[in-house]
Formats: sequence, C-alpha cells, structure tokens
Amino acid sequence: MMNPLSSSAGITAKLYEVNWLLVALVVLVGLVGVLMIFAATDGVWSSGAQQHLIRLIVASGLMLGVAMTDVKVWYALAYPAYFGALVLLIAVDVMGVSVNGSQRWLDLQVMRIQPSEVMKLAIVLAMARYYHDLPNWRVSRLSGLLGAAILILLPMALVLRQPDLGTTLLLAATGVGIIFLAGVNWRVIGGAALAGAIALPLFFRFGLKEYQRSRILTFLDPSRDPTGASYHITQSKIALGSGGFSGKGFMNGTQRQLAYVPENRTDFIFTVIGEEFGLLGSLLTIGLYILVISLCVWLSMQCKHVFSRLLVLGLTTTFTLYIFINLGMVMGLAPVVGVPLPLISYGGTVVLTVMTGFGLILSAHLHRQNELPRSQF
Amino acid sequence: MSEHDQGPDEGVITRRTLMLGAGGAGIFGVLASRLYYLQVVKAEDYRVLSDDNRFNFKISLPSRGRIMDRFGENLAVNKQDYRVVMIPEQVKDVEATLKRISNIVPLNTKMLDRIRKDIRDHARFVPILIDDHLDWKTFSALNFNIPDLPGVIPQVGEGRFYPNKGLFAHTLGYVGRANPKDVEKDNDPMLRQPTFRIGKTGVEAAADKTLRGSAGKLKVEVNALGRIVREWPDPNDAAIKGKDVWLTLDAELQRYGAELFEEDSGGLAVIDVMTGELRTLLSMPTFDANLFVSGLTQADMNRLNNDEKRPQYNKVLSGGYPPASTFKMTVMLAALESGLIDPKKKVFCTQKLRLGNRIFHCWKRGGHGAMDMRDGLKNSCDIYFYETAQIIGMEKIAEMGRKLGFGTAYDIGISGVKPGIMPDPAWKQARLGNGWRMGDTLNASIGQGFVLATPLQLAVMAGRIANGQKALVPNLLVGQDLPELADLDIDPEHIAFVQDAMWSVCEEPGGTAYRANGLGIKGLDMAGKTGTGQVRGISTSERQSRLRKHEELPWKLRDHSIFVGYAPYNAPRFAVGCVVEHGGSGSKRAASIVRAVLGRALERDGLGPETELKTNGATL
Repeated sequence: MMNPLSSSAGITAKLYEVNWLLVALVVLVGLVGVLMIFAATDGVWSSGAQQHLIRLIVASGLMLGVAMTDVKVWYALAYPAYFGALVLLIAVDVMGVSVNGSQRWLDLQVMRIQPSEVMKLAIVLAMARYYHDLPNWRVSRLSGLLGAAILILLPMALVLRQPDLGTTLLLAATGVGIIFLAGVNWRVIGGAALAGAIALPLFFRFGLKEYQRSRILTFLDPSRDPTGASYHITQSKIALGSGGFSGKGFMNGTQRQLAYVPENRTDFIFTVIGEEFGLLGSLLTIGLYILVISLCVWLSMQCKHVFSRLLVLGLTTTFTLYIFINLGMVMGLAPVVGVPLPLISYGGTVVLTVMTGFGLILSAHLHRQNELPRSQF
Repeated sequence: MSEHDQGPDEGVITRRTLMLGAGGAGIFGVLASRLYYLQVVKAEDYRVLSDDNRFNFKISLPSRGRIMDRFGENLAVNKQDYRVVMIPEQVKDVEATLKRISNIVPLNTKMLDRIRKDIRDHARFVPILIDDHLDWKTFSALNFNIPDLPGVIPQVGEGRFYPNKGLFAHTLGYVGRANPKDVEKDNDPMLRQPTFRIGKTGVEAAADKTLRGSAGKLKVEVNALGRIVREWPDPNDAAIKGKDVWLTLDAELQRYGAELFEEDSGGLAVIDVMTGELRTLLSMPTFDANLFVSGLTQADMNRLNNDEKRPQYNKVLSGGYPPASTFKMTVMLAALESGLIDPKKKVFCTQKLRLGNRIFHCWKRGGHGAMDMRDGLKNSCDIYFYETAQIIGMEKIAEMGRKLGFGTAYDIGISGVKPGIMPDPAWKQARLGNGWRMGDTLNASIGQGFVLATPLQLAVMAGRIANGQKALVPNLLVGQDLPELADLDIDPEHIAFVQDAMWSVCEEPGGTAYRANGLGIKGLDMAGKTGTGQVRGISTSERQSRLRKHEELPWKLRDHSIFVGYAPYNAPRFAVGCVVEHGGSGSKRAASIVRAVLGRALERDGLGPETELKTNGATL
C-alpha cells in the first residue's frame, strides 16, 4: 500500500499519482462530444464544437486543480458549498434570467451560472460529509434520516420551482442513492418505497407544471400528440433506428441534416451518434461511459474513509443517472426531461460541473490514505 | 472509538456499491438491448420512416391552356402570380402566424374566415392559400421574413389573365376555385389544391377538361419545417400542360363592334353564313373578368350589380328581345310558302286596322298607302303584315319562325344560350292557359307580343335567309364535331324574293335603312331589316296628341334598336344580328353598327390563314 500523501508532497510526485487513466477517459468522452457537435451543426466549427473544445480544455485544468487539492479542504467546504448553492438557488428564483420559459440562470455579469448544476455537486459533498460524521447507529434512526431528508428536499423544492424536472429527479435519485449506500436498513427502504408509491401520484398532480405533466403523459401514450411533445421522441427514434447497425456515415445523417430532431446539439446529441455511426458507434459510446463509471467505482473502493467513498460513489451515481435518463429519453424509454448527455452534449455549465465532479473523485482517490477526522455532531 | 461511534462501515458501503453496480449494469443492459431493437430489429422500418420524413410528393399543377381567336390572338393566358400559402401541419400556432403574416400582407376578416375554413376543410398537409396576386414589394417583404414563419411558403404560380379585360368576358367566362360541389363531381386531385383554378363559366368552364391538363408529381426533399431543400424532378412525372382552345371569333372584329356600341348596352352576333362560325359574340357593356380571378371586392360587386345596363348579363346569348319588324321576313316566307298570298297584291295602309273593338296601328303617321309585299318590307308597313298574318294564321308563321331558328337554344359549347320564345296557340294554351286570339297573331306578325329572340337567333335567322339552302347552326369552338347541316326546306324562289326585299331596305332609296353610300365598299351591297322593339304600351291619348320623341323618354322606356343583315348581297358571307337596348329606331343605332361591322368583316375576310392550318388539326 502507498504512503499517505501529505499536502506538502512535491507537486510533480503528486501529479504522477493522479489517476491518469480516468483523466484520459474523461477527456476522450469530451472529444467524442466535440466531434458529434461538429456533425450536429452541419460541420460549422464555430457553432458549438469549438466552444466545446475550449470548455473541455479549461475544465480539464479545473479538474486537475480540484484533484490536487487535499480532500480535507473539500470536506471542510462541503457544508458551506451546500448553503452557498442553496442561496444561489433562491437568488435565481428572485432575480434569475429566464431562458425558454425556465428560470435557471443567474447572471453574474462576468458569466452566467446555473445554480442547480452547482447544487448537484454540493449535495453530494454535503451528504458524504453528513454520513461521514453521523454515528453508524443513527443511520437508520429517525433523527439520522430527517437530516438527510432535509439535505435532499430543500434543493429539490427550489429546483422544481424553476421549473426543472430533470434536475429535481437527478437530485432526488442521487440523494436516495447515497442514503442507500450509507447502509440504511431494509425496513426503512421498504417504508420509503411505500411512501414514495403514495406520494408520486400526488406529486404528479400538484408538484408539476402543465408541460411537464404533458411530457410524461405523452411518454406513456405517444399517439396523444404526434407533432407536439412526442415529436421529439418519435423523430429521435427514427434517427436512431434508421442508422441501423453501422450508421449512415459521419456527416451523412438525413434526420440530422434536415433538422428533424430538435436540440440535437444538446440533449439529443446521441441521435447523431446513432444515426451516423449506427449500433456500433452507440455501443462504443456507452462502453466508454461504462469504463469511466467502473473505474470510478474501483477507485471508490480504495478510499479509506467514508467521506471519500460516498463522495466518489455519489458523484458517479449522478454521472450515471445523467446517462440513463438521457439515453432512456432518446430511445423512447423515459419522458423528455431535458437532461444532457454528460461531456458530449453542448452546454458550458454541465461540462464544468461534470469535470469538477471528476476532479473531486480524483482528489478523493489521490488523498485516499489521508486521515480525515470526524466532526462531532 | 466504540463501535457505535463509527460511521457506516466499509463493508456495508462495498456491498451496497455492488448492489447499485448490478442495478446499473442491468439498466445498461436494457439500454443496449433497446438500441439493438431500434437499430437492428426495427432498422428497416425506421429507415423507411426516415425517408418518409425526408421525401414528399408534391402535386405539380399544369399550366392551363390558352384560349385564342381564329387568328391566334390571345384571349386568355397565364400570367406570373405571386402568392403565399401555408401548410397548417407545419405551423405551430396558426392564429399567431396569421397575425404575423397580416403585418406584411393585409388580411381582412373575410379573408381570415376563408383561410380558417380552408384549414378546417382540408387535410393538415394541404397547402392553404393565404393570398394571391401580391405585388412584388409585398412578395419580397414576405420572402425576407420567411425564416420566422415556418410552414408559410411564398410561391410563384400562374394566374389566369384576360388581356382584353372584358371584351370577351361573357364568352370566355372566368376561372375560380373549385367549390365543394365541383370536388364532389370530379375526383381530380388537382381540384383539392387551394391554388388550383377551374373554369366557372363560358368557354373556361365548357372546355375546362381540355384546358386543364393533368397533374404531375414532384419528389421533393423537405426539412423538419416543411421547407423544400431539394427537388428530385422525374420527367415521367411532370405535369401535362393543358391544351390550347381556339375560338372561331375574330378578336379585331369584336373589338371594332364594341367600339361602335360606345356607352350603349346590347348584343351583337356575326356569323359566317356558309359554316355557322361565329366571328363576333359581343354583349355590352362588358366587365373585367380579371377581377373575378383575383377575387371581387364588395365594391366591385355592388358596382356590377347596381349597373342598370347589367354588365354581367350575356345579352347576345341570353337576352330575349321582341324581334319587332325583323320578324317580318318570317311572315313573308310563311305567306309565300302557304300559297295563300299573291305578293303583287296590294294592301292599303291608313295607319289603322280595326280588329273587334281594338285598333292596331302602323308606326307611320298617316299610313303608307298602297303596299305590295316587297314594299311592305322595304317600308316596314305594319298594316300589310297584320292583313297577311290574319289570312295565313299563326301556325304557319310559327312553323316558319322555327325553320329560321326562333325558339331554339343552340349548342355552341358554352352555357347560357337561351331559346327565346316562338309562340303558337299550343304554346299559349300550355303556358298561359288561355286560347290564342287574332290580336296575338297581329302582335306576333310585327315581332311584338309574345315573340322573343336573342341577338344570336337574329343573326342565325339572317344567316339562314342569306344561305337559302342549309339551316345554318352557329358554332364557336374550333375543332368541335359538327353535325351535317340540315336542308332549310324553303323554295329558293321565295328566298330570292325575300332577299331582294331585304336588299331594297338597305340599298333602294326610301328603304328604312337606305344610305347613299351603302356599305362603303364598292360593288358590295347589303341586305337587311330594321326593327324597333317597343318596351312600353302607347296610350291612345299619347298617340292622338303626339308620340313622345326618343330623347324625351327615360332610358328604360326607350325602344330597342334592332337590325339584322348580311353582305354581300350577291354572294353572302356574313350575317349579323344586333340589338341596342333602348337605342331608339332600328334604322339608326343598330343599322349603323351592323353596316360598319359588316363592312369591316368583309375587309378582314380572308386576311388570316385558314383556320385548319393554325390549329394543326387540334380537336376538342
């Protein structure tokens, strides 16, 4: 086993210890994104691909910076980051910029940020720290559960107000995933499943906006509205299906060229992969993702303390959920909820947050042997 | 640290991680099999759907055939027409889109209602006409804004155009959109295209199938907004242009006739006495048929409907007028054929004839004195014909009237041809339920009373007399299959007698239509007959004091001015029937028009090449 790395260890030695395989895989996925955005924009370098590449380079720097920072720092910042993200979410509600009818952006003059993206990281940090600090016997107790529930529900409620159903579900699933990983006992899991079964219809009726309800209903019955909400799904399936086994060839997708699939630079970018590279290309892309995820899980198991483990696993869960929801949506298995395909879809904040997330994973792994004292509750 | 103080132990986290990992692997499995299903199992179906998306068949409309006169002058052509259509299925919000269009192309409520109705009545993929006949400025403004208006498509199409405006409006008719009834009768898919036009009236309607052509289809590649990004034309699928239709008319002669009418209303027909081809078929005043193509405004409609000269009424084919004295040839021929009348025998005209307690008048104050048959016609003496008609009776007159073409609606290929009325006792019994009286015969003998004829019938009557052997039948469409002309079945000597009498009307001093210089063409004489159609009863008091002069009467009460004639007298070529509504005495307005038209017709005769050469044997 390696020696613990102190924060004073030589930069070069420390850089050497970074898991470069993960870095390489992440950058590779990002480059797939550059290529596909290039195709989706009819080969116009400047209408997406170029920005994506630049963001990738900038975010890679950020990722390494985060990785090199001692995980103690992230542990210490976990709660402040969470409360900061909460404040940003409230700010967005009060003075946010509206894009396409959803208020998700905060204009900071210099840059526009999407607090819900920040929250995706913050919630994992906060919950990892929460369970790191929580005595084992309280994990399944009401007091322990209540703390975790508050951590999850506050940001959920704020994000749902924006309205952003995709992110809300993502936060919920990530939070529940971490609770599950933390070892909550099966009786609680059973009870929660029952409560969820009762709450879901109520949430559907009262918690959702009209268009969100309609998207879900359309998903359940696509013939409801062939040119409206289900148009996305239908055209997306046509694009994938017509790609066949080996695809129509790079830059040859007709569905794409003729703009049948909307948003194909962002949320529906997988249709471009499916149409132009067929099943082969689709499975290769998914395979790449599986490699990234598996590697992260493998890295988590080498971490000594709970915070690092849950941090890595929580972030990996978020990343995986992104992929599941996006691919499910594109293939017509899930409703259209505006979740991007991480690292491949065009979109600045997502690249930044996902890469920062990988930075945290790398940091947790890099400092896996370090002592991390627990705060008293 | 006690066991209780510890956080979740690593073993639990590892176990749970593996559980989640297994779940995740399962979901990836589902996604992969879904991909396999979409991209391998169903690949073919989706490939077809993708091509369906991509390719569309657009119905391509043919150019409508032209309509031309006998010399090839264009009477109806196609002109470039800028218009805008909308494909509802490609429009997200129809109302919002219409509102945005109306910022560029003004749309009134009537048009909006029509557009909304069209959208309801058609499948969502059928292009709906928003507006046509746009000017270039509007059209380019529209094209400029088109990226913001998905589903709205500016088109350059063809619109019908009548270069002579109204001159041939009654004969040509006009085109318009197919209404639901047309669509029901005819399942040609072109009719369902909102931009397609079919013939509504006249030749446009009668020869519609010939003019229409047949639809083609055009394979087009469209993007998600329905915008055509590429066309894949296949020559085999091209639309077939409509065939041109040739008319027997002489546009120049018709134009001349219209000029002669000036502001007056009425009808004029010029017929070839050998073939029955109509050289002129004019109804005055005219209306601009182009207005009907572009959509008549309410103001235009009101103006047309409120005009007392009824521009839309096809007077030459549909207008029934008392033939007045032009009917006297019929009585003459009936008398000669009956053998009951000696044409040399004289009748003494004192302007009055008593029948029971009624007195019938001759038009000439003081009477004509002694008149034989020839003089009776030359001077148009009513008393002579009263006496003659009393002897031979109405049946014989009606029989001769029918031989000369009265009471018949000719099939000249277009609708609107009316039969007029050739009354006889049986007709009156059937129609009015009471018996024929001698007074009816006397009225009929001078072409008044129940007798009604159209200007076309007057021309045919004159043409049959001029021809003398065949019962001439008018025709309008070149290439139409014409039946063999029937024999006229009148003694040629009797015909010659009447022809001579008609010559005397025009060419002998004292004739009611005599002019010293005749037709104005040396060596060519004209034969004819005047008629003054009464439209009012003349009271006894008025007759006793003084007949009001033409100019003193309101327009509506003035006499119709009527003339029939043919020329040249020796070798007849053309016959003319002319009615000038409320134009006064037949010897003035109508006679001068006919004289001029006949002169021009003879001048133009043979100027153009043979009709057969021009049409290349095209048939209808």
